[in-house]
Amino acid sequence: MSDSDVPNDGDIKLVMAVIRPDKLSDVKTALAEIGAPSLTVTNVSGRGSQPAKKSQWRGEEYTVDLHQKVKVECVVADIPAGDVVDAIADAAHTGEKGDGKVFTFPVESAVQVRTGKTGRDAV
Amino acid sequence: MLTPLQTDLASVVEGVNLVWVLTVTFLIFFMHAGFAMLEAGQVRAKNVANQLTKNLLTWSIGVIVFFLLGAAVSSIVAALTGGPATTISGAFMSLYAPAASATTAWVDWLFGAVFAMTAATIVSGAVAGRARLRAYLTYTILIAGVIYPVVVGFTWGGGFLSALGFHDFAGGMIVHGMGGIAGLTAAWIIGPRMDRFKPDGTANVIPGHSITFAVLGTLILAFGWYGFNVGTAAAPLAYADGAVTLGSFAYVGRVALVTTLGMAAGAIGAGGVAMYKTGKVDTLYVANGVLAGLVGITAIANDIVWPGALVVGLLAGAQLPVVFEFVEKRLQIDDVCAVFPVHGSAGVLGTLLYPVFAVPLWHDGASFVSLAVPQVIGVGVIAIWTFVATAVVFGGFRAVGQVRVSSAHEREGLDTAEHGVDTYPEFGSPDADTGIRTDGSGVPSGDGFMTTGRED
Repeated sequence: MSDSDVPNDGDIKLVMAVIRPDKLSDVKTALAEIGAPSLTVTNVSGRGSQPAKKSQWRGEEYTVDLHQKVKVECVVADIPAGDVVDAIADAAHTGEKGDGKVFTFPVESAVQVRTGKTGRDAV
Repeated sequence: MLTPLQTDLASVVEGVNLVWVLTVTFLIFFMHAGFAMLEAGQVRAKNVANQLTKNLLTWSIGVIVFFLLGAAVSSIVAALTGGPATTISGAFMSLYAPAASATTAWVDWLFGAVFAMTAATIVSGAVAGRARLRAYLTYTILIAGVIYPVVVGFTWGGGFLSALGFHDFAGGMIVHGMGGIAGLTAAWIIGPRMDRFKPDGTANVIPGHSITFAVLGTLILAFGWYGFNVGTAAAPLAYADGAVTLGSFAYVGRVALVTTLGMAAGAIGAGGVAMYKTGKVDTLYVANGVLAGLVGITAIANDIVWPGALVVGLLAGAQLPVVFEFVEKRLQIDDVCAVFPVHGSAGVLGTLLYPVFAVPLWHDGASFVSLAVPQVIGVGVIAIWTFVATAVVFGGFRAVGQVRVSSAHEREGLDTAEHGVDTYPEFGSPDADTGIRTDGSGVPSGDGFMTTGRED
């Protein structure tokens, strides 16, 4: 079996997505459906194409240009990273500015803390 | 000569009235929970514990000072300005060791004390986020021991403003107007929080950390306010010639009604003007408006025709956004919790509007001028005394550089820097001290990782 036959060319991939907080539930469901349920979620704030919003305190406006987002990190070996990217991009989509972005990174190594397994087996 | 049954009736009446006084006293005490939540919600997360500590110590230190000193000072000031005669020792001994016949002396003192502490605790909201604890607590001692008791001596104690006919039913000016003016004065002298104003003088908005707490505090205050106002009508039953009759319930009903109408109208007034100015109904202004409506009605709740309550409440709420903007943009004073618009200007406004809606004017033919003059003089005297006394105390602390915390502490937040606590610790349990520092300083410490940020 050549490397090109196994998912991710035999490597481990990290898919990192920044999405709308209210889309997290849909993204979790979509990832479970493609067999990649393991993930890490962080509350983050950031800015991109979404315009700054006005907030108000005691009748006075101030500008908020960092928007609340959720960062989802998903490390895969046996599931193609492309499937994960597609699942997230599909589930997090609204069509409005501020939907977020999805990035894919190579992972150099992995260790499962409980068992000590390394490499693809750890994922 | 009373028969035994009649004597018992007199005791029953006395007992019922005392229980009523104590009940409303406890309601007024509960307003401190309201102030604590209201102020905690309007400060940033890094200053919450500092604000709560000030609220707790205002009561704890203030009430002892009011017992040992303040109550007697008000009797002495009253006597000196034309009220009931007393001697200095008499004023103190009537509290320290009241005569056996004066069974209500200590209940009456507590009833007065909860009003005094309400006045004292208002100030902390104006100076939040930068006042040094020692300066603030010294002011608490002086407001509980001297500044507020002098105002009470002039008025409720029977002094010259009382003789003049100054009308303040439950403290719209004596408690709230005074507290609001004291807060504004203190905030002016201490100066704004860092970054509150840009170098060119324009204002930066510094949002508080919890609208939820602010609204909870508002409603707790409104609940306690029923004790403040309705409770001041303090005698449900009367006893005379062997018969028990209802006491002052004619005007208890009036107080209950106009307090409610004023509170509701205040919220509408503030929310309406905020919507007119910004196009949005601002939650915090609606909440502040509830309180401004209550403040506005407090001085006059026992003696105005009820439509007046709607007008006074509406105006007290409507002036909030206007006065707050004036204080912030024109005076450039950083009144963190809008203490002056809510307590100060609303209290002054309500007290001055008394002659317009007074029952004596509408039903008994009293002249407008005879009702208005004492109000103007009373408001003026209380405002000037409060301003001068407060300016002297905080000005003195500023002169010796003790009025506010260091800029490093202010930036870090008063919770950690001044109290060593973290109101909202974000990550799990504290680490055990293994002698290995994880903060990059490389210095093993025997005192654990958590530092108080105290400057050595």
